[in-house]
Order: sequence, then C-alpha cells, then structure tokens
Amino acid sequence: MIQFLVVLFAVTLLYVSITGRIETYIKLLFLQGLFIFLVVTIESPVLNSLNYIFLMVETLGFKTIIIPLILVKAVRKMGVRREVEPYILNFNSLLITTLIMICSFILAFMSLKYAPQIKPVHFAVSISAVLTGLFIIMSRKKIITHIVGFIIMENGIFLLSLSIAGEMPLVVNLGVLLDIFIGIFLLVMVLKRIHSTFDEIHIDKLTHLTD
Amino acid sequence: MIPIILLFPVAAAPFIYFVKSRTLNHIVLIIYALLMSTVTGILYKNGGHWSPFLQTDPLNIVFLIIMSILFLGVAFYNRAYFKHHDIGIKAETEYTIFFLFFVASMAGVLLSTHLALMWVFIEATTLFSAPLIYVERSRSSLEAAWKYIFICSIGISLAFVGIILLSIGTKSVDSLFFKDLYSNAKTIVPFWLKFSFPFILIGLGTKMGLAPVHAWLPDAHSESPSPVSAMLSGTLLNAAFLGILRVFKLMTLAGLDYYARTLLLVMGLLSLVVSAIFILRTNNFKRMLAYSSIENMGIISLGIATGGIAYYASFLHVISHSLAKGSFFLTAGNILNRFHTKEIDKVRGILQIDKINGWLWIGSFAAISGIPPFPSFISEFLITMELFRGHQYIIAGIFFLVFTIILFGMGRSVMHMAFGPADPHLVKASPAPMTYIPQIGFLMLAVVIGIYTPDILNNLLKWASALLTDIV
Repeated sequence: MIQFLVVLFAVTLLYVSITGRIETYIKLLFLQGLFIFLVVTIESPVLNSLNYIFLMVETLGFKTIIIPLILVKAVRKMGVRREVEPYILNFNSLLITTLIMICSFILAFMSLKYAPQIKPVHFAVSISAVLTGLFIIMSRKKIITHIVGFIIMENGIFLLSLSIAGEMPLVVNLGVLLDIFIGIFLLVMVLKRIHSTFDEIHIDKLTHLTD
Repeated sequence: MIPIILLFPVAAAPFIYFVKSRTLNHIVLIIYALLMSTVTGILYKNGGHWSPFLQTDPLNIVFLIIMSILFLGVAFYNRAYFKHHDIGIKAETEYTIFFLFFVASMAGVLLSTHLALMWVFIEATTLFSAPLIYVERSRSSLEAAWKYIFICSIGISLAFVGIILLSIGTKSVDSLFFKDLYSNAKTIVPFWLKFSFPFILIGLGTKMGLAPVHAWLPDAHSESPSPVSAMLSGTLLNAAFLGILRVFKLMTLAGLDYYARTLLLVMGLLSLVVSAIFILRTNNFKRMLAYSSIENMGIISLGIATGGIAYYASFLHVISHSLAKGSFFLTAGNILNRFHTKEIDKVRGILQIDKINGWLWIGSFAAISGIPPFPSFISEFLITMELFRGHQYIIAGIFFLVFTIILFGMGRSVMHMAFGPADPHLVKASPAPMTYIPQIGFLMLAVVIGIYTPDILNNLLKWASALLTDIV
C-alpha cells in the first residue's frame, strides 16, 4: 500500500513536468501533501504519540491544506496569467524528469548495499523529488513556479526523512517545520511585493543587480 | 546565562512594537549588544549550557566573542546611519525587531550542539535577516532580498538532505549530537559520510558565500543598509563557517579528511578566483567589499583544507576579517551618506571632504589586505608557510597570483576614492562621533592583535584548533 502511494507521488512529479497551468501545479502540491499524509498514517505504529500528532499536523495541516491555500490566494490576487512559460519544451522536460528518476533508482539500489534498513522505493522517489524541484526552479520563468519547485523539494526531503527509521528530537522537528513554513510564507509575501513593484513576475525582469 | 541572550528579543519585541519610538529602538539595540558582550564574557570565563542542546566549547566561544564585539560596534553606529535615511517609524521598529532576532538566531547557530538544531537556527538567520535587506524599500533591495531568501533556502534544504543522508549512516549512533557523532565517528558507514558531506558543504557554503554558490552575497551585501552589511559579512558568514567546521571535524575523525579537504580546497580556490575577476569588474564599492568577503571566506577554507598550523591561521583570519570588514562596511555607509552614490567612479577625494572617513577607508583596506601590522598578514603568512611545508607549490602560486590581483583591484578603487580633487559642491563637515568611533575601535583592536597577540587570544585559538582534531 505504501509502495503504491509512493509511486503515485512519483507520478505527480512526472505530471508537474508536463503541465502548463499554475492551477494544476497547486493541485498537484495538494495531492503530494495528501499522499505524504497517507504514508505517514499507514506507517504510524512505529512512532510515539507526540511525534505522531506532530506529523499529522504537518502533513495534513500544512502540506495539504495551508500551503496550497496560500498559493491559490496569491495567484488569484495577483491575477497571474495561467501559462507557466518554461524555457524548454514540455517533452524535453518530461524526458529530463524521467532521467532523474532512473538515476535516483539506480542510486537507491546502489546505496542499499551500504544501508540495508532504507526502503529503496521511498529513497529513490524522494531523491528524484528533490532533483525535480531543482529542475522546475531552473527551467521555468515565473517566480511563482519557483516557489512551487521549492515546495516540491521540501516534500521530497520530508519523504526522505520518512524513509529512514531514526527520529529527530521533537524540538528539532518543530524548528524544522516552523522554519520551512515561515520560509514559504515569506517567499509568497515577497512574491506579492515583487508583483506590485515590477508589475511582472518573470525572473527575466529581476536582472537589475549585476556587475 | 544562555537563555538571557536567546530570549531577550522575545521579551523586548512586543515592548518596542507597541511603543514605536526611535529612541527606544536605539536603546534596546544597545542594551542587547551590551548584554551580549557581558554574557559572552561570563560564558568565556565559566562556560555554560542550557539543556543538552546549547553549550559553549572552546571552538564556538571564539565565534561568540567576535560576534559580540562586532554587534556592539554596529549597535552604536546604527542610529547615526539611519539619520540620513528617510525611513518610517513603523519600518524602523520592524527593522530593530528583526535585527534582535537575527542576532539571537546567530547566537543559536554558534551554541548548538546538535546538527539538525544548528540547521534550524541557520535557516532562522535567513528568515530574520531577509527583511533587514529590504528595509530601504527600493526595487533593487527587493530583488536582493528575493535572491537572498530563495538561494539560501534552497542551499539550506540541500544541507538538510545531507543531514538526513548522514543520519542513515549513523544507524549505530542514532543521535545527531555532535559529541555522539564524534565519539562514534569510526562506526559511521564511510559511504554515507562521503555521500552527505558535499550536500552539507554546498548547503552551508551557500550561507558562507563560497563560490560557486555565492550568487546571493554581492546583491544582499550591497543593497542592505551598512549596519546590516557589516553584520552579514562579519558574523553571519562566520556562523555558517562554524557549521562547516563541525562537520569537517566529523570527517577528520572518521578518517576521511583527505576527501573533505579536497572539496574545501576546490571551493576555496574557486572563491578566490571568482572574487578576483569580479573585484576588477565592479564599479560599486559595496559590491567590491562583498566580493572581498567571498575572497576572505575562500582564504579561510583554504586554511582549513591545508591543516596543521593553518587551522590556527584560519581562526586568526576569521577574527581579522570580521574586524576589518565591519570597519570597512560601516565606513562605506558613511561614504554613501555623504556622496549619495555607490559608484566608485563618482566618488573622489574623501580625504579632502572628510579626513576621518578617508583615513578609515584606507585603514580598513590595509586591514583587509594583509598589510602589517594587521593580523591578516600573520594569518595569510602562516597559511602560505604551511602550503610550502606541504609542498603545495601550485596552490600557493595560485593563491599569490589571485591575491595580488585582488590587492591591485581593490587598491586602485580605494585610492581613487580616497584621493584626488573632491567635488567642490560638497561641503566639508565633521561627521558625528558615533559614525566613526566603532570603526576606530575595530581597527585598533586588530592592530593590537596583529602586533602582539595577547596570551588569552593565543590560547583561545590554540584550544580551538586543537579541538578540531580531538574527540571531545
């Protein structure tokens, strides 16, 4: 079951690389959050109760509901045109994402030799989420898609931390959650400010500072 | 003692938020700076810890001392700088609040004894300092703030990937406290150490400003107000460096120091080369100083990669860079306020108009570029000596070459600005005392350290460099 959810998560990554609409991006973020939440729920017996509550709040509350909501609001308020406007063709984008996945799987099965306790599918999908997030950031023009790419990276990192059994102390977990959340919130705030100052949210316009 | 410095901003923030008075903002900042220095003094003498997560040791106390000295100077300078800028009371109050939290989160980075907690504090420094960059509300500062948050957040996320990978390898330890990691270094699977170190180095290297992940640094340093630039360059980069050092120590203890050294060396040399190219090209004196920070971070990594006596030299270089760059950026703020431009071409004859700032400008240049009696001379000399002793002639050659180019590039700009005929329309006026006393303090301290390194400092640096290789 968990394997199935993780594979679904991987499918969202492939879908992100071909879709051209910002609304779809945000829907996919919602789906990713939901899948991670389900993974956590099914795996829960391993965790103690306090950490369990924390993970519930983080995945269902933040990843699935609040963050997509903030983004939807921002998009509506700014009236962003819908197209994502990538630098490269959708087909090539899909090709690169697939390549990233293949490499991640090879890497995961290679590392299995050194750490038998990791779950290879988890591991591979989360590494490819981190890399796909980076790729989205590099290959898209609009700033809002950069934020989406960043959130995909964070989802990947979260999944990665689930793929290992060890737990962080609660203080640290809370700190990480708070940091990431404030970070995303701040990014959206700055995005709005950029939109009202520059009348444009292409990074092509953000080239004032050079030598 | 530690709770006082970490929780002071929490107590002070609501207070200054509701009162909203410029004088109060100023006083609170100074109180916090004095408190920080006092507490650091006590921590230096007695040591201290707060829960198992925050603790002093000979390594972080050095960084804490530098930070409190720099913060003290900047806190006094801050008010005088903003007298020249038209910033609303609300914005200034927010600025003060974020400044307090920024300093507290840096103290948190320094004192953390847990790898992931350190990560939390490093990310917090980004979040708290980003609004400081945007305080002047200009288009370019908005752009700089965006790049800063975005690039650093991505970098820091990669560092977190590194931390997770590391914790896969530490199955036998199951704890990310530095002391547990160090005492079990030999049992950690080398594959995971090797896998995770580049991630952590790239991630923390982004914050430290090492090439090729330095892109945010020149923008953020040049667009933020000078007190913030001084803190970013003089203390934030050091905090990130301490993070790298902690992980580097783990690599050393695990017997992978050759691998870690090579990576550090590559990034260090690349930083030197990149900064040399851009220092020659830039026509913005604050950007020039920013590139000089990249250069100095490169020298520090080079020192750590070299090892031996160069550890000691690196710590000395951290201190001298912080003092010199603090003084440099604060003086740059005075020049900006007087000439209303950041362009090197348009600034002539600082010495004619304003003798004190002119000499401070030249003095800071001397301090940063390793001219005796400043301590950067000793540190750079020791690093090259160690390079020669290890027969690393090619690296030493590159170091010399790049260093000379940078010296030429910066010297040309600094002299162009300091000498020559000034614009006759500019009135001569003596600056307010608080705009130059902190810099004089920094430079005098640097000279004292350079001429005769006090025993206290000497021992401190020796302990710190010994701690890098000991299992404690």
